[in-house]
Amino acid sequence: MLSNLAFKQISKRGLGLKSIAPRFLSSTSTALKSTYDSPDFSNYLNSNKGSSDKSRDFTYFMVGSFGVLGAASAKSTVESFLSTMSASADILAMAKVEVKLSAIPEGKNVIVKWQGKPVFIRHRTSGEIEEANEVDISTLRDPQNDADRVKNPEWLIMLGICTHLGCVPIGEAGDFGGWFCPCHGSHYDISGRIRRGPAPLNLEIPEYEFSDPDTLVVG
Amino acid sequence: MLSEDYSTIYNLVFKRNSVFVGSVFATAFAFQGFFDYGVTSWYEAHNKGKLWKDVKLKLGDAGEDEDDDE
Repeated sequence: MLSNLAFKQISKRGLGLKSIAPRFLSSTSTALKSTYDSPDFSNYLNSNKGSSDKSRDFTYFMVGSFGVLGAASAKSTVESFLSTMSASADILAMAKVEVKLSAIPEGKNVIVKWQGKPVFIRHRTSGEIEEANEVDISTLRDPQNDADRVKNPEWLIMLGICTHLGCVPIGEAGDFGGWFCPCHGSHYDISGRIRRGPAPLNLEIPEYEFSDPDTLVVG
Repeated sequence: MLSEDYSTIYNLVFKRNSVFVGSVFATAFAFQGFFDYGVTSWYEAHNKGKLWKDVKLKLGDAGEDEDDDE
Protein backbone atom coordinates (compact mmCIF):
# COMPACT_ATOMS: atom_id res chain seq x y z
CA MET A 1 0.00 0.00 0.00
CA LEU A 2 2.70 2.38 0.97
CA SER A 3 4.77 1.65 -2.04
CA ASN A 4 1.77 2.15 -4.30
CA LEU A 5 1.11 5.57 -2.82
CA ALA A 6 4.72 6.55 -3.27
CA PHE A 7 4.61 5.50 -6.92
CA LYS A 8 1.48 7.60 -7.52
CA GLN A 9 3.09 10.64 -5.97
CA ILE A 10 6.23 10.22 -8.00
CA SER A 11 4.41 9.78 -11.29
CA LYS A 12 2.30 12.85 -10.58
CA ARG A 13 5.39 14.90 -9.98
CA GLY A 14 7.52 13.61 -12.79
CA LEU A 15 5.71 15.31 -15.65
CA GLY A 16 8.53 15.34 -18.17
CA LEU A 17 9.94 11.98 -17.23
CA LYS A 18 8.02 9.04 -18.50
CA SER A 19 8.13 6.14 -16.14
CA ILE A 20 7.41 2.82 -17.69
CA ALA A 21 8.22 0.61 -14.73
CA PRO A 22 7.56 1.62 -11.10
CA ARG A 23 10.56 3.29 -9.59
CA PHE A 24 10.78 0.90 -6.72
CA LEU A 25 11.31 -1.94 -9.16
CA SER A 26 14.28 -0.18 -10.63
CA SER A 27 17.55 -2.00 -10.24
CA THR A 28 19.50 1.20 -9.81
CA SER A 29 19.78 2.28 -6.25
CA THR A 30 19.92 5.96 -7.15
CA ALA A 31 16.60 5.96 -9.00
CA LEU A 32 14.53 7.13 -6.09
CA LYS A 33 17.06 9.70 -5.06
CA SER A 34 16.29 12.02 -7.98
CA THR A 35 15.07 15.34 -6.73
CA TYR A 36 14.48 16.84 -10.14
CA ASP A 37 11.00 18.25 -10.49
CA SER A 38 9.83 18.94 -14.01
CA PRO A 39 7.90 22.16 -14.37
CA ASP A 40 4.35 22.01 -15.66
CA PHE A 41 4.39 23.50 -19.16
CA SER A 42 0.77 22.77 -19.96
CA ASN A 43 -0.27 26.42 -19.63
CA TYR A 44 2.25 27.42 -22.27
CA LEU A 45 1.72 24.68 -24.81
CA ASN A 46 -0.31 25.36 -27.95
CA SER A 47 -3.68 23.97 -26.96
CA ASN A 48 -5.04 23.48 -30.50
CA LYS A 49 -1.96 21.74 -31.80
CA GLY A 50 -3.05 18.68 -33.74
CA SER A 51 -6.51 19.95 -34.45
CA SER A 52 -5.15 22.71 -36.79
CA ASP A 53 -2.68 22.13 -39.64
CA LYS A 54 -2.06 25.82 -40.29
CA SER A 55 1.60 26.02 -39.39
CA ARG A 56 2.32 22.65 -40.96
CA ASP A 57 0.63 23.79 -44.18
CA PHE A 58 2.69 26.96 -44.18
CA THR A 59 5.93 25.04 -43.76
CA TYR A 60 5.13 22.65 -46.59
CA PHE A 61 3.95 25.56 -48.74
CA MET A 62 7.28 27.32 -48.34
CA VAL A 63 9.20 24.12 -49.09
CA GLY A 64 7.03 23.54 -52.17
CA SER A 65 7.41 27.14 -53.39
CA PHE A 66 11.18 26.93 -53.28
CA GLY A 67 10.87 23.58 -55.02
CA VAL A 68 8.87 25.25 -57.80
CA LEU A 69 11.45 28.01 -58.21
CA GLY A 70 14.28 25.51 -58.14
CA ALA A 71 12.66 23.22 -60.70
CA ALA A 72 11.87 26.12 -63.04
CA SER A 73 15.38 27.57 -62.89
CA ALA A 74 17.01 24.15 -63.25
CA LYS A 75 14.90 23.47 -66.32
CA SER A 76 15.79 26.77 -67.98
CA THR A 77 19.48 26.28 -67.16
CA VAL A 78 19.52 22.85 -68.80
CA GLU A 79 17.45 24.19 -71.69
CA SER A 80 19.88 27.03 -72.39
CA PHE A 81 22.78 24.58 -72.54
CA LEU A 82 20.87 22.23 -74.84
CA SER A 83 19.76 25.03 -77.15
CA THR A 84 23.40 25.83 -77.95
CA MET A 85 23.58 22.41 -79.63
CA SER A 86 20.70 23.01 -82.05
CA ALA A 87 21.26 24.51 -85.49
CA SER A 88 21.07 28.30 -85.58
CA ALA A 89 18.73 30.18 -87.89
CA ASP A 90 21.41 31.04 -90.48
CA ILE A 91 22.43 27.39 -90.76
CA LEU A 92 18.81 26.31 -91.19
CA ALA A 93 18.31 28.99 -93.84
CA MET A 94 21.28 27.61 -95.78
CA ALA A 95 20.05 24.02 -95.54
CA LYS A 96 17.39 24.38 -98.23
CA VAL A 97 17.31 25.93 -101.65
CA GLU A 98 14.21 26.92 -103.58
CA VAL A 99 14.05 26.88 -107.37
CA LYS A 100 11.35 28.35 -109.61
CA LEU A 101 10.77 25.65 -112.23
CA SER A 102 8.87 27.85 -114.68
CA ALA A 103 12.16 29.54 -115.59
CA ILE A 104 13.63 26.26 -116.90
CA PRO A 105 12.54 25.41 -120.47
CA GLU A 106 12.16 21.82 -121.64
CA GLY A 107 15.42 20.12 -122.56
CA LYS A 108 17.61 22.45 -120.49
CA ASN A 109 19.91 21.94 -117.54
CA VAL A 110 20.20 24.23 -114.54
CA ILE A 111 22.85 23.94 -111.86
CA VAL A 112 22.08 25.33 -108.41
CA LYS A 113 24.30 25.37 -105.36
CA TRP A 114 22.95 23.53 -102.35
CA GLN A 115 25.02 23.19 -99.15
CA GLY A 116 28.15 23.93 -101.14
CA LYS A 117 27.43 21.18 -103.67
CA PRO A 118 26.13 21.52 -107.23
CA VAL A 119 22.67 20.16 -107.93
CA PHE A 120 21.69 19.34 -111.49
CA ILE A 121 18.09 20.03 -112.49
CA ARG A 122 17.06 18.83 -115.93
CA HIS A 123 13.70 19.50 -117.49
CA ARG A 124 13.47 16.35 -119.62
CA THR A 125 11.58 16.07 -122.85
CA SER A 126 9.15 13.19 -123.38
CA GLY A 127 11.68 11.64 -125.77
CA GLU A 128 14.33 11.65 -123.07
CA ILE A 129 11.96 10.10 -120.53
CA GLU A 130 11.20 7.30 -123.02
CA GLU A 131 14.89 6.83 -123.67
CA ALA A 132 15.58 6.52 -119.93
CA ASN A 133 12.81 3.94 -119.54
CA GLU A 134 13.87 1.85 -122.52
CA VAL A 135 17.19 0.86 -120.97
CA ASP A 136 17.44 -2.77 -119.87
CA ILE A 137 18.51 -2.31 -116.26
CA SER A 138 20.09 -5.77 -116.01
CA THR A 139 22.91 -4.49 -118.21
CA LEU A 140 23.67 -1.60 -115.87
CA ARG A 141 26.52 -1.41 -113.37
CA ASP A 142 24.23 0.09 -110.70
CA PRO A 143 20.79 -1.26 -111.69
CA GLN A 144 18.08 1.27 -110.95
CA ASN A 145 14.80 2.05 -112.68
CA ASP A 146 14.30 5.56 -113.95
CA ALA A 147 11.05 5.68 -111.97
CA ASP A 148 13.00 5.09 -108.74
CA ARG A 149 15.23 8.08 -109.46
CA VAL A 150 12.58 10.74 -110.08
CA LYS A 151 9.43 11.94 -108.36
CA ASN A 152 8.13 13.57 -111.50
CA PRO A 153 9.64 12.08 -114.69
CA GLU A 154 9.78 15.53 -116.27
CA TRP A 155 12.23 16.72 -113.65
CA LEU A 156 15.51 14.97 -112.92
CA ILE A 157 17.22 16.30 -109.80
CA MET A 158 20.67 14.93 -108.90
CA LEU A 159 23.77 15.85 -106.95
CA GLY A 160 26.29 16.97 -109.55
CA ILE A 161 29.20 15.08 -108.08
CA CYS A 162 30.81 12.22 -109.98
CA THR A 163 30.67 9.08 -107.86
CA HIS A 164 34.20 8.22 -108.93
CA LEU A 165 36.38 10.95 -107.40
CA GLY A 166 34.01 13.85 -106.96
CA CYS A 167 34.47 15.98 -110.07
CA VAL A 168 31.53 17.89 -111.49
CA PRO A 169 30.29 16.21 -114.72
CA ILE A 170 29.47 18.25 -117.81
CA GLY A 171 25.85 18.30 -118.95
CA GLU A 172 24.54 17.32 -122.39
CA ALA A 173 27.74 15.45 -123.15
CA GLY A 174 29.03 11.91 -123.32
CA ASP A 175 28.05 8.88 -125.38
CA PHE A 176 24.66 8.39 -123.69
CA GLY A 177 23.17 11.85 -124.05
CA GLY A 178 23.46 12.66 -120.37
CA TRP A 179 26.50 13.77 -118.42
CA PHE A 180 30.18 13.26 -118.94
CA CYS A 181 32.86 13.56 -116.30
CA PRO A 182 35.99 15.14 -117.79
CA CYS A 183 38.32 13.94 -115.05
CA HIS A 184 38.38 10.21 -115.80
CA GLY A 185 35.75 9.82 -118.52
CA SER A 186 32.64 8.50 -116.81
CA HIS A 187 29.52 8.59 -118.99
CA TYR A 188 26.09 9.03 -117.40
CA ASP A 189 22.82 8.58 -119.24
CA ILE A 190 19.77 10.86 -119.26
CA SER A 191 18.68 9.39 -115.91
CA GLY A 192 22.10 10.03 -114.33
CA ARG A 193 23.02 6.33 -114.28
CA ILE A 194 26.61 5.27 -114.81
CA ARG A 195 27.05 3.63 -118.23
CA ARG A 196 30.73 3.68 -119.01
CA GLY A 197 33.92 4.72 -117.23
CA PRO A 198 35.38 4.22 -113.74
CA ALA A 199 32.51 5.55 -111.61
CA PRO A 200 30.90 2.76 -109.51
CA LEU A 201 27.48 4.28 -108.79
CA ASN A 202 24.74 6.37 -110.34
CA LEU A 203 24.64 10.08 -109.59
CA GLU A 204 23.14 10.60 -106.15
CA ILE A 205 19.60 11.88 -105.69
CA PRO A 206 19.21 14.47 -102.90
CA GLU A 207 16.13 14.96 -100.73
CA TYR A 208 13.72 17.21 -102.57
CA GLU A 209 10.05 17.99 -102.93
CA PHE A 210 7.76 20.05 -105.10
CA SER A 211 6.19 22.45 -102.62
CA ASP A 212 3.81 23.51 -105.40
CA PRO A 213 3.79 22.48 -109.09
CA ASP A 214 6.05 25.40 -109.93
CA THR A 215 8.50 25.34 -107.02
CA LEU A 216 11.21 22.85 -106.18
CA VAL A 217 12.71 22.72 -102.69
CA VAL A 218 15.99 20.82 -102.39
CA GLY A 219 16.96 19.75 -98.90
CA MET B 1 -10.17 30.25 -43.24
CA LEU B 2 -11.35 27.49 -40.99
CA SER B 3 -9.01 25.06 -39.36
CA GLU B 4 -10.66 22.22 -41.29
CA ASP B 5 -9.55 23.88 -44.53
CA TYR B 6 -5.94 23.62 -43.46
CA SER B 7 -6.46 19.96 -42.70
CA THR B 8 -8.10 19.47 -46.11
CA ILE B 9 -5.15 21.11 -47.87
CA TYR B 10 -2.76 19.04 -45.84
CA ASN B 11 -4.55 15.80 -46.62
CA LEU B 12 -4.98 16.62 -50.32
CA VAL B 13 -1.53 17.93 -51.21
CA PHE B 14 1.12 17.49 -48.56
CA LYS B 15 0.32 14.16 -47.01
CA ARG B 16 1.71 11.92 -49.78
CA ASN B 17 5.15 12.84 -51.01
CA SER B 18 4.33 11.69 -54.56
CA VAL B 19 1.40 14.11 -54.73
CA PHE B 20 3.51 16.87 -53.18
CA VAL B 21 6.40 16.47 -55.65
CA GLY B 22 3.98 16.05 -58.55
CA SER B 23 2.19 19.26 -57.70
CA VAL B 24 5.55 21.04 -57.33
CA PHE B 25 6.49 20.02 -60.91
CA ALA B 26 3.04 20.86 -62.27
CA THR B 27 3.20 24.27 -60.63
CA ALA B 28 6.71 24.79 -61.99
CA PHE B 29 5.42 24.07 -65.51
CA ALA B 30 2.58 26.58 -65.17
CA PHE B 31 4.85 29.09 -63.43
CA GLN B 32 7.34 29.04 -66.31
CA GLY B 33 4.65 29.91 -68.84
CA PHE B 34 3.37 32.84 -66.79
CA PHE B 35 6.90 34.00 -65.96
CA ASP B 36 7.94 33.96 -69.63
CA TYR B 37 4.79 35.78 -70.64
CA GLY B 38 5.27 38.38 -67.92
CA VAL B 39 8.92 39.04 -68.70
CA THR B 40 8.24 39.21 -72.45
CA SER B 41 5.37 41.66 -72.09
CA TRP B 42 7.39 43.80 -69.66
CA TYR B 43 10.35 43.81 -72.09
CA GLU B 44 8.19 44.73 -75.05
CA ALA B 45 6.45 47.50 -73.10
CA HIS B 46 9.81 48.83 -71.89
CA ASN B 47 11.29 48.89 -75.42
CA LYS B 48 8.18 50.01 -77.26
CA GLY B 49 9.00 51.69 -80.57
CA LYS B 50 12.46 50.16 -80.85
CA LEU B 51 11.48 46.58 -81.60
CA TRP B 52 11.53 45.06 -85.06
CA LYS B 53 7.76 44.56 -85.11
CA ASP B 54 7.25 48.30 -84.54
CA VAL B 55 9.91 49.30 -87.07
CA LYS B 56 8.42 46.90 -89.60
CA LEU B 57 5.07 48.67 -89.45
CA LYS B 58 6.74 52.04 -90.06
CA LEU B 59 8.63 50.72 -93.09
CA GLY B 60 5.49 49.23 -94.59
CA ASP B 61 6.03 46.90 -97.52
CA ALA B 62 9.63 48.02 -98.06
CA GLY B 63 10.87 45.90 -95.18
CA GLU B 64 9.37 42.69 -96.52
CA ASP B 65 11.38 41.95 -99.65
CA GLU B 66 14.72 43.07 -98.22
CA ASP B 67 15.98 39.54 -97.62
CA ASP B 68 15.14 38.29 -101.10
CA ASP B 69 18.54 37.27 -102.39
CA GLU B 70 17.51 35.08 -105.31
